[in-house]
Amino acid sequence: MFGLLYFLVVGTALGPLLLWPFTRTRARGGLMAGARRLTTLERTRRSVFFGDRFPGHYEVSDQKILRYLAVRILTGLVCGVVIALLIFGLVLVGLLVRGILQGGPRWHNVLGQMVLGGVLLFLDLQGLYSLARLDARIAHECFGPSERELLRRRIDELATSRFAVVQAVDAERRRIERDLHDGIQQRLVALGMLLGRARRGRDPEQADALLGQAHQESQDILAELREVTWRVYPSALDSLGLQEALGGVSERCDIPVRMEFDVRGPLPQSVETAAYFVVSESVTNASKHSRATAVSVRVELHGRVLAVQVQDNGNGGANPSGSGLSGLRSRVAALDGVLHVDSPAGGPTTITAELPCA
Amino acid sequence: MRLMIAEDSTLLREGLVRLLVEEGNMVLGAFGDADLLLEEMAVRRPDIVVLDIRMPPTHTDEGLRAALEIRERWPEVGVLVLSQHIERNYAAQLLASSAERVGYLLKDRVAQVEEFLDALERVHAGGAAIDPEVVRQLVIRTTHSDPLTRLTPRERTVLEALAQGHTNTAIAQKLHISLSAVEKNLNTIFDKLELSHTIGYSRRILAVLRYLES
Repeated sequence: MFGLLYFLVVGTALGPLLLWPFTRTRARGGLMAGARRLTTLERTRRSVFFGDRFPGHYEVSDQKILRYLAVRILTGLVCGVVIALLIFGLVLVGLLVRGILQGGPRWHNVLGQMVLGGVLLFLDLQGLYSLARLDARIAHECFGPSERELLRRRIDELATSRFAVVQAVDAERRRIERDLHDGIQQRLVALGMLLGRARRGRDPEQADALLGQAHQESQDILAELREVTWRVYPSALDSLGLQEALGGVSERCDIPVRMEFDVRGPLPQSVETAAYFVVSESVTNASKHSRATAVSVRVELHGRVLAVQVQDNGNGGANPSGSGLSGLRSRVAALDGVLHVDSPAGGPTTITAELPCA
Repeated sequence: MRLMIAEDSTLLREGLVRLLVEEGNMVLGAFGDADLLLEEMAVRRPDIVVLDIRMPPTHTDEGLRAALEIRERWPEVGVLVLSQHIERNYAAQLLASSAERVGYLLKDRVAQVEEFLDALERVHAGGAAIDPEVVRQLVIRTTHSDPLTRLTPRERTVLEALAQGHTNTAIAQKLHISLSAVEKNLNTIFDKLELSHTIGYSRRILAVLRYLES
């Protein structure tokens, strides 16, 4: 009703002004400001009386507001008519009861009236119900994400996470390449040089010393190769499971790692792998960059969600958008999980991942 | 000879210094990146600079860019570039201006100590030293078939020697054959690779690379 009145009064007042190019924008602005206030009122009504929750900063276009108000005016009028009919029906019932009490109409007459009244009452209530549904739907269309909006968001989310996964894979490959090139290959070339120098050596003593160095170097290369392959993919994950693989992480770490593992039963492989990398990456970061002296790791299954938490006592300041952590985030997001990084300057750093086991 | 080295791997840098000193050379400086090398170059000149292509900060082509700068500013200094993989583009850029006092070797070649020292000697003498593997790969890429399959084993060794920048006389000595045999072999190779035979070994390498670039 208000809406209709508003448009009748304001529309009549501002209508002529809309025809002039000079005044059009201002008139339109005035019209829209009022319309927006009305819709805000509507929004509050839905929230207060029906407990609807709408996103706080949801931008609504002018077109949407006008369309909403137009539909709302229509439904409001229809609703008024339906309620009027209901009141009219109640008055009739009252008259009928009074007639019965005065011993007026015949019983079959009364029965006919009751059947007819019942049907009309049903239709009327059905109308009210449908109107309430319609009201809720148009409010959601206007004030919050509609079904289609939600789907669109989900698709965006999937596209983003898919892109991020591809990027994470590339970053991972770059890291492996760097590992092989900067580590293994250089060392092998150096080993070849040692052997070459030993062969060219003028005196046997020096040649012997060089051979000794070369032998040591070959041992170191083997150890490094083992490290690199483990970083590429921990084979223990497939053969021994997550708990064993995590045990390996704490063994290879320079600082003490306290591990709490509370998972019974098998986990999906993708979840295990993601959990493993969250822990190993976080632990590595803690020992390398945070000057931490201890790390604690908790892996628990809450219903259908695997919660992984890694906390260190270091000096914080981890960069969530750094390559390592953003790679982890993509890995977790690909499984519809979330990764939280809480690392205030001065520490402590807490990294939490929630991985749904679908 | 007096050398400078730019190589980011400490292990390899140390190894190179030791090797070169053992061979009676003088290492004026060994640096972890190209900028430090260029700074030092402004102060004093070595006879030869050995550079790794991939160095900090970006680990892409820092060494190559430094090498090109050195070629331009101090053409009298020999440049030997060590490359991770064979990049025909890099090789071509390096040889674009001239094929004198320049070398392009696969990094792994350093492990073949004799070959590496030999390449250094050739660059020092004013020649070129191109990794045989580079030429071979470039030819494969251009013809989509290994041209070496069409060469006899003898021609193959001659081509390798040629690609590495040896003169005809040096090839003859190296392979213990007569000079005319070398020339005959070379003519056959140029025919098989559809190359016109030009005189002067630096121009020959250029001709090979230019042909391969086309």
